[in-house]
Amino acid sequence: MSPAGGGSAPARPAGTGGTGPPGAEPRADGAVIELEHLSRTYRVGESEVRAVDDVSLVIRHGEFVALMGPSGSGKSTLLNLVGCLDTPTAGAYRLAGEAVQDLSEDRLAEVRQREIGFIFQAYHLVPRMTAARNVELPMILAGVDPRARAERVARALEAVGLAPRAHHRPDQLSGGERQRVAIARAIINEPSILLADEPTGNLDTRAGAEIVALLERLNAGGLTVLLVTHDPVVGARARRILRIRDGRILSDGPPESPAAAGGRMGRPPEGVA
Amino acid sequence: MSRALLPHDLLALAIESLWLHRMRTGLTLTGIVIGVTAVLLLTTLGEAAKRYVVNQFANIGTNLIMVQPGKTETTGMPQPLGGTVRPLTIEDVMAIAHEASTVERVAPVSIGTASFEYGGRTRDIKIVGTTADYQKIRNMTLISGRFLPPGDPRHGEAVAVIGRTVATEVFAGESPLGKPIRIGQWRFRVLGVLESKGQSLGMNLDDSALVPVATAQRMFDQRSLFRVAVQARDASSVPQALRQTREVLLRRHQGEEDFTLITQDAMLATFKSVIGALTAALAGIAAISLAVAGIGIMNVMLVSVSERTAEVGLLKALGAARAQILSLFLTEALLLSGGGALAGIALGTTIVLAAAAMWPDLPLQPSPVWIAAVTALALGAGLLFGLLPARRAARLQAAQALRGRM
Repeated sequence: MSPAGGGSAPARPAGTGGTGPPGAEPRADGAVIELEHLSRTYRVGESEVRAVDDVSLVIRHGEFVALMGPSGSGKSTLLNLVGCLDTPTAGAYRLAGEAVQDLSEDRLAEVRQREIGFIFQAYHLVPRMTAARNVELPMILAGVDPRARAERVARALEAVGLAPRAHHRPDQLSGGERQRVAIARAIINEPSILLADEPTGNLDTRAGAEIVALLERLNAGGLTVLLVTHDPVVGARARRILRIRDGRILSDGPPESPAAAGGRMGRPPEGVA
Repeated sequence: MSRALLPHDLLALAIESLWLHRMRTGLTLTGIVIGVTAVLLLTTLGEAAKRYVVNQFANIGTNLIMVQPGKTETTGMPQPLGGTVRPLTIEDVMAIAHEASTVERVAPVSIGTASFEYGGRTRDIKIVGTTADYQKIRNMTLISGRFLPPGDPRHGEAVAVIGRTVATEVFAGESPLGKPIRIGQWRFRVLGVLESKGQSLGMNLDDSALVPVATAQRMFDQRSLFRVAVQARDASSVPQALRQTREVLLRRHQGEEDFTLITQDAMLATFKSVIGALTAALAGIAAISLAVAGIGIMNVMLVSVSERTAEVGLLKALGAARAQILSLFLTEALLLSGGGALAGIALGTTIVLAAAAMWPDLPLQPSPVWIAAVTALALGAGLLFGLLPARRAARLQAAQALRGRM
């Protein structure tokens, strides 16, 4: 089924009314993610917290984008919104051409299944399942024909270089290997975008570098990647960096010169438009 | 796109997670097994009791029809005499015997209480007035002596056949045969002693004396019989005997049906329904243990859901619909209850068969109806008590659940 624009989301005429947003490009060419004045507020007691505040941005097919910001800057909330794990309190979100901001929980689940691959800092592998079974999980949920699964699992594990470890359980794998299983799982249903939340956060430098290299390789193969990271070294590998603070995008552009970004733990320059 | 898990996947996922916690799974299963076994054993006992009563019923005679004076709408006690109700008389009995062709035997019964006296010892006992045919109708056997003599029922001699208890209590070792006794103000001679039959149809013949019916009616100044026992020729002629008896009596009672006919089958049905109710009550008590086991399932599932919060979050991130999460946890609950039911049925049936082999006299046998019922009950409990935890899992918010430990 392809419920693009169907159901509850009314078609949005371009640049409607007084709110005519500058960044609102309805159905930008090749856009995977289109956010228009997206906000997410929480009520904490009496006060209102704007975790994501009027964010508008477009991520096109094949981009490798890093989302950077300090703790509490709203990057997790933004990632949850982009990943359809949360719904915005205001604004519009089109994912692969489909307006998703008003979808029901189960419709959002469908969208996640079809369009999004998740990678988490803590891997989130099911401990009792082998690597192959973990990779198979999204296909089980999607009701893929069991006869077609083994081959796809093998190919995905091959792609992340873990074919020989297919029948190991997570506790028999190193951190880097676990994250590669998670990546294989994330790409098994051929999503439109890979969302990686601090994928190197639990890894040592070398394993982290391998994971970033793997993400680059997948990106080179045409997969769109949105990566959340603290690590300026990791961030510098992206071709576009979004800096967020207090729920707002501070800057959006290519990374600094490789030399500046390569400085170990150097505080990344800010405010570069 | 399919939104339901394939049955094979559902089962595999559920078994994987149950197998991970084998100890916990085993303990929960044990609870269900105990509940199911208890229900099976108690209902089997109830069924055995029913079968036992049926056997006892066959023991009091076969193909019987009881006639009682007065009209009652349901089976049971006759209405008090008086008003327009005509008495049932010995002449009625004789008419049935002569005119109803499908009636094999018919015997009048009148009842009273009197003191029985011999050699200075007295005992208040029940006096049953009847005729010679009553022996065959009620399958009575004698320890010694003989039964009431045949002859015109309208003329009674002063003879008595006494029950076992009367013989042992009053005669204390002496042979009662031919002994002169006193019943109330009347002098009798003992003809025979009955074999013990115990209590049946609300009458304990062990503690009574049988005398000719005409004698009893004179003693107690009764106009009507207590009841008339009619025995049909065979089982298939019971309905015909019933109709013929009714016709004879109607004619003799000027067309008024002021008597009640009850077949042995109807009485048996009443007993069966009473025991059936008792069995159901026993099963209900046993089902409480099944309910407790169901709560055990709920407890284990709740623990499981909270332990697997992060897993649920992951499944949701991977695109699992609420119904899929729900079905996953419900399947685990149903596997627990269904597996427990199977094991409980195996255990219960084994115990019943072993008991039946050990005590062949007891009519013990596993009942397929109750096995089906207890299976349905166990699965229902699994579904009911699995629903709350499964719903809790299905309603978890993905983003928050993911932050739970995995």
